[in-house]
Amino acid sequence: MTPEDLGTVEESFGAVTVEVPPAEWMPAHQWSRDDGGLTFFDWLSAYDDSDAGLAVVTHLWSVPGRRGLLLRTHLPREEPRLASLTSVFRGANWHERETYEMFGVIFDGHPLLIPLLLPDGFEGHPLRKEFVLASRVAKSWPGAKEPGESDHEVAEPGKPTRRKMAPPGVPDPDEWGGDWR
Amino acid sequence: MAPSRGSDASQSRPLPLLSGPVSGAQGIGQLGSAVPAPVKFILNWGRRYSLWVFNFGLACCAIEFIATSMSRHDFIRLGVIPFAPGPRQADLMVVSGTVTDKMAPAVRRLYEQMPEPKYVISFGACSNCGGPYWDSYCVTKGVDQIIPVDVYIPGCPPRPEALLHGILTLQAKIARESLGERYPRGGSRPIRSVAAAALQRPLVGPTHDT
Repeated sequence: MTPEDLGTVEESFGAVTVEVPPAEWMPAHQWSRDDGGLTFFDWLSAYDDSDAGLAVVTHLWSVPGRRGLLLRTHLPREEPRLASLTSVFRGANWHERETYEMFGVIFDGHPLLIPLLLPDGFEGHPLRKEFVLASRVAKSWPGAKEPGESDHEVAEPGKPTRRKMAPPGVPDPDEWGGDWR
Repeated sequence: MAPSRGSDASQSRPLPLLSGPVSGAQGIGQLGSAVPAPVKFILNWGRRYSLWVFNFGLACCAIEFIATSMSRHDFIRLGVIPFAPGPRQADLMVVSGTVTDKMAPAVRRLYEQMPEPKYVISFGACSNCGGPYWDSYCVTKGVDQIIPVDVYIPGCPPRPEALLHGILTLQAKIARESLGERYPRGGSRPIRSVAAAALQRPLVGPTHDT
């Protein structure tokens, strides 16, 4: 068995990534650990891949062989469910809890799937792209980063103002209110 | 240099100033408001040059704090003594770094453990107002939302010289303060009206994961 049997293999920036179907998630890790020699579980995380859904990635490493492998799978955004890796790598426990609270991915078979880092009572999954950062709706940013905003520099009338930037995830004031623009 | 604040000392040899009901911090208020100006000067002088500091280092600003405590900038020459054994032995808390909503109860709780009179320096943009993390979902918009702050030091991160200047500013503030004004008779400061229990979270028990 080779990594090609697990799924689609692609290589970018020196890292080999294997796209695995969600049903093959745990067998792929089992095989990588037992037969592939990738015994060190480095990390598990996820990213929001917009229309393609949520992507969950793990990085496995072989300490004597000094080689690694990225395993990735895509889940539907509506109900992301995936088999837990805690029976293969116990260290995946906290990684899966963090991915659960940040992206809402439910890991079936996890022994204790409760939030790890977020404060009590936090609602939503903050690393998803649809999560709205609404601090500026309540109060605009108190700093002065644009030309003409500080007290030392007065904007000249008629001088064109620079286009103001909004960080990603911050809603448009026409949509959510606020006066930051 | 602190005036007698224990109740047993006043019972054994009652001071006439302490005959009335004592409010807030035990014994300091009435004594502080009634002492003559030279004594007040000496009390403030002792307090301002013996600031045991409790470093609440939460992010990269803590590195600048450590640099200030080391030999090149050396704030011990200003009477600031770093690395107090804990908040119960500290007079000054320097909140240096990003306060998150998860960390905020711990900041408040350790502040409550410090003995009076206590001072807080907010060091850096993050603890002043949230700084560059204003849009974040988890960053507290300034540590002054949970504890009272005496001196704000701007910068991201501020240079050690800025902390030295902030310490001098705090010492000037201590020099002209009156404990009678700090702890008014029959009342406490508004920030103290909220009990520390309001910000507590339950202890996390051991988890039995296989």
